[in-house]
Amino acid sequence: MKLRKIMALTLVTAMTAGMALTGCGSSGNDSGNDSGSSSSDGGESSGDSVTIKWISQGTGEDGWEGITKPILEAYEEETGVHINAEFYTFNDLFEVIETKSAAGNADFDVMSVDVTYVSKYGSSGYLEPLDQYFSDEEKAKWDDASYQAGVWEDNMYAAPENTSCQELWYNKKLLDEAKITLPENDADNRLTYEQVAELAKQGLEKLDPDGSQGYIGFDFQQISRVYQMNMLANSMGGKNISEDGYSLDGVVNTQPWIDAMTWYQKLVDDGIASQGYDADQLPEQFYAGKMLFMIGGTWTGTSMKCDDEIGSTYAPCFEGHEDEVATSTGSWYFGINSKSKNKDAAADFIKYFTLGKGSDMWLEINGDVPSRLDKQDEIANNEDSSETMKIAAYEAANTAVPRAVTPVFGEYSTVLDQAWEDVRNGADVEESLNNAVEQFDAAVAAYK
Amino acid sequence: MGGIYIKNKWLPYLLVLPTIIMICIFKIYPIIDSVIQGFASTDSGFTLDNYKHLFADKTFWNSLKVTLKFNIIIIPIQIIVSFIMALFVNVKVRGIEIFRTIFYLPFCISLTISTVIWQMMLNVNNGVVNSMLGVLGLRPVGFLIDKKWALLSIVLISSWRGCAYWMMFILAGLKGIDSAVYESAKIDGSGFFNTLFRITIPLLKNTWLFVLVANTTANFLLFAPMQIATDGGPQGSTNVLMYEAYKSAFKYSNRPRQACLVTILLVIVMLVCFVQNKFMTEKEANK
Repeated sequence: MKLRKIMALTLVTAMTAGMALTGCGSSGNDSGNDSGSSSSDGGESSGDSVTIKWISQGTGEDGWEGITKPILEAYEEETGVHINAEFYTFNDLFEVIETKSAAGNADFDVMSVDVTYVSKYGSSGYLEPLDQYFSDEEKAKWDDASYQAGVWEDNMYAAPENTSCQELWYNKKLLDEAKITLPENDADNRLTYEQVAELAKQGLEKLDPDGSQGYIGFDFQQISRVYQMNMLANSMGGKNISEDGYSLDGVVNTQPWIDAMTWYQKLVDDGIASQGYDADQLPEQFYAGKMLFMIGGTWTGTSMKCDDEIGSTYAPCFEGHEDEVATSTGSWYFGINSKSKNKDAAADFIKYFTLGKGSDMWLEINGDVPSRLDKQDEIANNEDSSETMKIAAYEAANTAVPRAVTPVFGEYSTVLDQAWEDVRNGADVEESLNNAVEQFDAAVAAYK
Repeated sequence: MGGIYIKNKWLPYLLVLPTIIMICIFKIYPIIDSVIQGFASTDSGFTLDNYKHLFADKTFWNSLKVTLKFNIIIIPIQIIVSFIMALFVNVKVRGIEIFRTIFYLPFCISLTISTVIWQMMLNVNNGVVNSMLGVLGLRPVGFLIDKKWALLSIVLISSWRGCAYWMMFILAGLKGIDSAVYESAKIDGSGFFNTLFRITIPLLKNTWLFVLVANTTANFLLFAPMQIATDGGPQGSTNVLMYEAYKSAFKYSNRPRQACLVTILLVIVMLVCFVQNKFMTEKEANK
């Protein structure tokens, strides 16, 4: 009897202790896994070694996870600092940053910041101001647009990794098969969107008359995302957001936006542009040789999966709006977690990746448009630079329209991404835009 | 025998204590915290402004409408289909275990994966469902991009997996009915439908209560298929309250708004479960 009692009590004690240990154990393991082998809490130093934890986007060997490896290895070799990089998918990264930063988490040091979130993270206290780490001389090494996009209320919060630029990409093999010759064009004599739509239509009629092959005529790499879709409205003279960054009324419910969305909806209705693919799936159609024309970034060339020969030229303009050419711009930035315990080392890593050898390697590997002035000059003055990069450098300097600057970019992009997608799927243009205005105004009312 | 369990009156409490502590930390505390956050102003004082802003927001009312519509459609469908499936796999034939396993398999696939698979199958361009419709000479249907179809498609995606889960509970209930009852009914000449409606369904009362409450709660809180397959669209037609709460928390960082939405959702779920409970209990009392 007594033995049973002892056994029962032992069992209860063991269970309780077990649960408590399980709780502690998993937390300990998580910490260990999260922060790599040489650190248990983000970027703290352990003995002589220092580990910096960087959270970013682009999973997989083809994504940033794979292509940044040589840079991180080179940095470790040079400085002895280990970079524990953790990659998420594009959408997941925003949630991870939001969750960790809102909770005041110190278990990461450096974060990749999409340009549109600089003001939000800056105003929310998630980012450490970088002015103390970057001298004026260093800041002057970036083009002003790129530098300014990392600034919010006179504080520099983020350093540009690179910028981006849009061009018109085309599949030469498919155009040859369809016996279509692209008209001569240059920066002053661009193809028009209407012309490209017509060429795409002709191409589809020859290549896929009954639509059974699944070819797409003309589409956008980042479909239904404001980043790229807004350039249509901008090319009609439309703006992205009000001056104060808190309203869409009188901005998107205007003629340029209505005209741009109506034109795009017709492109879909005519079967030239696609439906049903999202921004992760649609570019794959171009990379696989199933699309004739695509508005895409400079990285398009390196993303191709098939052997089709492709080409790029200047972004189109709308007929009658030749002097209002607009291309999307802006890209990723580096920021320091304001709760990081290793800010100096984090800043050093950021400098390496944005201004130093890491930046050289990155621009070489990824093929993005540099934010660094010396690299831009190199492209413009080097005869060996690719035509794609020369076009990109021109567009970045002459037609790039900065994205909406607002601390409520989450609400902004949700509402307008949805409006573009709804219009794509047949919703009434004016109604969609009015709904977007109403939804955005209601969403930001709490911030005013 | 077993004396220590009776003599030590604290032992049962001690045994459930770890679970109670976990429930308090991970369930009760977040609920209380959410309710408080909904009434908290930026300077941590009391305010009704968060609710005022929410009630003035057209998106909220649309989400509420979509949530109620979604649940009114999905709850009866899931329960009826699960019941029919349970009846099928309750028959005594050789190898029925294989069918039970097959019927239960969808639940073994994660909701995210099953949603992605359905998303591909229902794709307007090259989805297998539209290919089959094409073979039949029908035009492609925008299952996930047409606001007439999107919510129904989400119901289909959720139910394909969900029915397998609820089927198991109903099957367990069916197994609990004494076979002598069916034998007596058979001797008395009761037909299939008579037995079904007068014996099987009434005897599953406790199972119904559990399945109804659990199913309601699960479906009111469901948002993964909407997030993955439609992103709440087209035109907000699948934007349920829970997804709106998720977006408020993780996309907009608007914690007060998220807290208000979750609190409202909690009140709705509690009300619905209360009515269901009352209805089922009264029905029993009237008998």
